[in-house]
Amino acid sequence: MTDVHTGWLFDAYPNGKNLTLWMLCEDGQRRHFVQDFPVAFYAAGAPRRLRELWKWLEAQEVPVRLSRKERRDAFRGMITVLSVEVLEPARLDALFHRAASSLPDLTYYDGDIPLALRHAAAFGVFPLARCRLESRGETALDIVPLDTPWKLDPEPAPLRVLSLEPDCDPARGEPGRVLIACEGARYSQPLQPARPLLVNLSAVLRRCDPDLVLTTWGDTWLMAYLLELSRQVGVCLPLNRDEGEEVVVRREHTYFSYGQIVYRGRQIQLRGRWHLDRHNATLWNDYGLDGVLEMARVTGQPVQEAARLSPGTGISSMQFITALRQGILIPWHKHQAEAPKTALGLLQADMGGMVYQPMVGLHRDAAGIDFVSMYPGIMVRFNISPEVPRAGMDLEPASGEPGIVPLTLAPLLQKRLAFKRALVTLARHDCRRPAYQARASAAKWLLVTCFGYLGYKNARFGRIEAHEAVTAYGREALLRAKEAAEDMDFEVLHMYVDGLWVRREGCGSAVDFEALLNEIAERTGLPIALDGMYRWVVFLPSRLDGRVPVPNRYFGVFQDGSIKVRGIECRRRDTPPFIADVQMTLLQILAGAPDADHLSGALSEAQVFIRRSACELRAGRVLPEQLLVSQKLSRELGEYSSPSPAARAVRQMQAAGKDVRPGQRVRFLYTRGRPGVRAWDLPAPPDPRTVDLPRYRTLLLRAAQTVLAPIQQSLEAGQGYPGSENLFGFKVKSGLESDLSGR
Amino acid sequence: MGRTLPSITQFFLQEQGSFSRFRRALRRADQLVLDDLFASARQHLAAAQYATHALPFEVFLLSMLLEEHKEVMRLREQVDELLSRPK
Repeated sequence: MTDVHTGWLFDAYPNGKNLTLWMLCEDGQRRHFVQDFPVAFYAAGAPRRLRELWKWLEAQEVPVRLSRKERRDAFRGMITVLSVEVLEPARLDALFHRAASSLPDLTYYDGDIPLALRHAAAFGVFPLARCRLESRGETALDIVPLDTPWKLDPEPAPLRVLSLEPDCDPARGEPGRVLIACEGARYSQPLQPARPLLVNLSAVLRRCDPDLVLTTWGDTWLMAYLLELSRQVGVCLPLNRDEGEEVVVRREHTYFSYGQIVYRGRQIQLRGRWHLDRHNATLWNDYGLDGVLEMARVTGQPVQEAARLSPGTGISSMQFITALRQGILIPWHKHQAEAPKTALGLLQADMGGMVYQPMVGLHRDAAGIDFVSMYPGIMVRFNISPEVPRAGMDLEPASGEPGIVPLTLAPLLQKRLAFKRALVTLARHDCRRPAYQARASAAKWLLVTCFGYLGYKNARFGRIEAHEAVTAYGREALLRAKEAAEDMDFEVLHMYVDGLWVRREGCGSAVDFEALLNEIAERTGLPIALDGMYRWVVFLPSRLDGRVPVPNRYFGVFQDGSIKVRGIECRRRDTPPFIADVQMTLLQILAGAPDADHLSGALSEAQVFIRRSACELRAGRVLPEQLLVSQKLSRELGEYSSPSPAARAVRQMQAAGKDVRPGQRVRFLYTRGRPGVRAWDLPAPPDPRTVDLPRYRTLLLRAAQTVLAPIQQSLEAGQGYPGSENLFGFKVKSGLESDLSGR
Repeated sequence: MGRTLPSITQFFLQEQGSFSRFRRALRRADQLVLDDLFASARQHLAAAQYATHALPFEVFLLSMLLEEHKEVMRLREQVDELLSRPK
């Protein structure tokens, strides 16, 4: 007697013997099933050694099915392998690692693929996939997806959310209460005494039976605190819906990625529910819950993993699923070393994207045009994949079987383009807009990282030559775009990897650039779009040498009055909010001018505003919170030869018993005298009288100067203005750079 | 990060640095002119990178020359215009 259930697949994880599945069924029930799911790893090598492995495996007590099989290695073609099918999936990991350390000279495949991904590949399912499940009692017999990850508007799953939030940051103070919110009801519960807290929380958990426990500081503090309390007091807290499983705890770690130190906090994952910590979810600020769910849909990673993993792991997961579905072996370790090159060959290959030096100054009626998802587009269109041999450098679409990378990317790229198209047509207040934006940006992060992963030394499907090929195509496409623009009498103001800024006298609206866009698309074969028409755009020179242009420091105002800013103070995360706000307001004042000819009025208005802001600062009317500098600790304290302001602030934190790890941010105020800074997250509030106001004034004026000086110069050049030494009508402290050398 | 070769900007700064003894011995006025020359070469770093020349300093010299010639042409145009103006 079999039952059929339809609903949303909630989670899949191993139990002691097989796989546990959770479904949100259409009837509102949350059901769990167990599924037999034997999983395999493979070994290749000398037949004699493979026989030894066979004997070794037979001697273990883990039940396995051994056989000889033909399988495809992406780089070497069909090979003979020993297939090791482990009948109890949870035991694969340990068995595999023991085998690999006993016979390390064999080549192993598929050994370290997360179980959830294997399950996703085997059945075509993914987190929150709509599916139909056939079962006998609790045993799942078959599971059939009714949905694909690429659907734009999937039917939303009816998730029940419980929110838990301590009343202050546990790293800063002692939280006294926890705010509990579930299904419209809100409670504030004191953390002490412990028993009533646990009894009440446990009642809420049983009554609401949430699918998702959404916390702030849950990974780093709250959940561990609650679990410890429940152990001490002896009140059971049903955080897990699956009562047979323990809560999963992963330790914190710090690592180095893309020239930056990154800190990842401890993780606490539930079984049968999800736990997400707003402060420990990658890119939560960028894309929120919608983005997390989208990430899980497209990568196949369980939601609790997807929320916390880097986009790099996400893209690897997608490649693993592609490879598993194509029957391609996934090497445990990468074997493709870089091919030998001549010195000149290296010189020609080892280049990044093309980054031009812009024409410094203010330009009116410029157009910004961008290749849409250039690098992923190149990989898909020209079939760039580490295992695909590459012929010449002509921009012709590649023929032949698509490789793993383009096969993985093509649907994701299409989905992102579909989101972008939809966002253009959706009305401004359409309720789907925020969700679309979040999901598009999740897709964007995956696509962006995919390119980096082609060249990453540990990526299983990475190869530096493929990475270099992508940038080479990119440079070629950008130069062709430049040639097309110049052939059509446009002036190229700037080029940056996948975008260019052009203008032509008399071309002031979008239609004037349509012919150019078509021509570029024709010459490169890549989709290109108008990013926007600028009323005016300013490219800035280097702060150290005004004669030297720098590529990614500019600001401009589009024709609809919106502002685009790159590389200046208000975009930097270490700028105090007050200064960022003032700079943004200055830009808004400038954006108020209908075109570049009316900037002089806006400039006077801006000067009045900056003077008023400086007065407010001097009078102490700016709150200390608004003056906080937030910087990352880039190394261990002992490694600083002369400690940066951030390091000095961390020293104060440590003296107060609060630890800050490299990669974590520290917030502080500049203060007068020594040590020149005051950490913000100390128990005692800072004395507002000690704030180093002159230093903030210098920072403020410098931020204002970045924005106003080029406008001033362009007005002077254009209209023979009387040159004024000073922009703001009062003296800017000289020796500005030396004053700020502490940065 | 992960670069086998220095980027063109790094290379440029190295080259400029290697002339620091030369620069030090110049008169202050000449030092400023030298700085100007280097700044003009920096206008064409992207092209110099794309050129992948084995001896990039030659490309830097050519970039300086290019900027110089641009200036000569601009000045020549101005002179022509001034000369052709009715007196």
